[in-house]
This record gives sequence, structure tokens and C-alpha cells, in this order.
Amino acid sequence: MTALFRWGSRPGVQPETAGPADVSPPETVAASKVLPKFLLTLARQASPVLLDLGPVVGSNVALFGERLACKLLVQDLYQEVERGLDDDVLTVALLKRLPDEPRSVDGIACWDVFDYLEPPVSRALARRLARVLKAGGVLHGFFATAPSETRSYTRFIVEADDAIRHRTYPARPNRRRVWTPREVDRMFEGLEMTDNVLLKANCRETLFRKA
Amino acid sequence: MKDTANIGKSVIIKGELTGSEDLTVEGQVEGKIELRQNMLTIGPNGKVKAQIVAKVVVVEGDVHGDITATERVDIRDKGSVDGDLSSPRVAIADGAHFRGTIDMQRGNKPAEAKPDAKGAAAIPAAPAPVATSTH
Repeated sequence: MTALFRWGSRPGVQPETAGPADVSPPETVAASKVLPKFLLTLARQASPVLLDLGPVVGSNVALFGERLACKLLVQDLYQEVERGLDDDVLTVALLKRLPDEPRSVDGIACWDVFDYLEPPVSRALARRLARVLKAGGVLHGFFATAPSETRSYTRFIVEADDAIRHRTYPARPNRRRVWTPREVDRMFEGLEMTDNVLLKANCRETLFRKA
Repeated sequence: MKDTANIGKSVIIKGELTGSEDLTVEGQVEGKIELRQNMLTIGPNGKVKAQIVAKVVVVEGDVHGDITATERVDIRDKGSVDGDLSSPRVAIADGAHFRGTIDMQRGNKPAEAKPDAKGAAAIPAAPAPVATSTH
């Protein structure tokens, strides 16, 4: 019973690396009104290509495979962020991980990676993502609504078509910035923000669509 | 009970491996592994730098290379794969490392093992794995 009231810990989950005490938010499952639209758009494509910018999550792979029979490109950009590189070097490292061919991807799951990037890096990343997205393609992301200093990133685990578990994992000390909706909209030039839902987990869940 | 061939920890193979029985690799293999009707297991000590084609592939060690499985790929918690996967079912355990593309598109036919740089053709299946060099 005491485990239920232990804030900041992850009961039953062992950290991947030992380190200083991690004051992370507790694990939560958030209902999603955006995810079903993201999945539905992809499901309408024959053999969709989905770009996942987060760490590989086995259950997500299984779900995407089962629901979408897709081709999944997993490129964990958080690994590059974790290296603590200068912005110029980080930009090159991030873009190197991504496909370059225009209009080659049907869906992009960028989770909350933009919260950990400085504006010049974010703009370069957003430009590339907008370019590789096909017409009619969709981009799903999370953006913090409150700044924070953390020692963790969040792993987004798709529990069901309309529910996502937010589970943290250890990281070097980092700062999670806040993007205003206007900044996000301008960053993803060429994409239309079709859904923007405020969540209790101090973040917004957003869906973009390319015309 | 199905026979399973084993490549031990001290064995290093460079070349092409084909066979028609299940295989467990605990040593090092560089080149190509083709077990179209069988299961390939890369054990915890296994290190493979090869193109892999099999019915089922279970990874508990390290793989650098593309994996094509007609039934499923299973990367266990200590497993690591850098390469592309092509299979209708892919299972990746928590803690596993993976970097690459996962092609779960239905209707994909199992790829022919990619020709190496010298353009060698795939060797027809043999009753047992053939080692081309050992140490």
C-alpha cells in the first residue's frame, strides 16, 4: 500500500542507469483524443511508413505492427540530446538520423523531444520533418506547458488506441522548455495544427497534418 | 525433438552459413546466415555481423546487420540489434537495444539474402551448418 503513496518513484521499474535521486513525476496513463486520429490516418494508407523519434518501445512496435502493418523507422533522438552537444553539432547529429527524401513518410511520432531542444535546433528539426512528411501525412507530438528542471525523459507507451502511459527514465540533468502554441505553429511551417489538447500531465498533445 | 546445431563461444566463422535445422550462435559470425525454414538464436555471448534470413530469429546477444524472418523476430532484454528488421511480427523486450527500420508490412516476401560485395550467389541449403573458418 505504501508504494501507492510514494511520489517521484517508479514502483516495480528498475532504472536503467544508477544516478542521483530522480525527482520524476509518477507514472500516469493519459486518455488521448489525438492518438486515435493519428492512427486512423495511418491505417487508411496501404503499408504506411511511420517515423518514431523516441526510444524503441516493444509494445508500441507490436501495436503499430498489428494495427498498421507499417514500416517503422525508429530513431531515438533523445540519445543525441543526452550527449549534451553544442547546438550546431546536435543539429547535424539529429538530421543525420532522419530520412532526407521529401514526402517519404506517412506519420511522425516526435513525442516531446522538442521540449529539450533550443530554438535553432528545433527549427531545423521541424523543417526536416515537415519536408519528409507526405501530403496528407500526420505528425503527433507533446509540448510542455510548464518549464521544469528534470533528470529524466518520458517514455510514451501506447496502451490502447486512445490511451498513452507516460513513464520516465533516467537522464542527465536537463531543462524542459515551454513552447507557446504560436511558436509551435510557426515552427512547423507548412503543416496545419488540427488538434491541440491540454493534458493534466503539464503538457499539450498536438496533431499536425500536411495538406 | 528437433535437432539444434550450436556454434560455441570460442568459434569464429567468416563466410556463409546455410542449413535446414535450428541453430544457436554463441560465438562470432561474420557474413551471411540463411535458415529459411528454421529458428536462429543469437545467444547472450553471440556476436553476429551478418545478413540474416530465417523463419524465426531470437536475439539475446549482438547483431549488426539486417534480419529477415518469415515468422517473427524476438529481441530479448539483453539483445542488441543495429540493422533493419523485416518480419510480420516483431517483439522487443524492455532494455533491448535497437536502431534501424522495422518493416512489418504484410505481403512482403522474404528477401533473398543480399549479395555480398563480390556478388556471390546464395549456396543451396545443406543438412548442417558449414563453417568456412574457425579459430
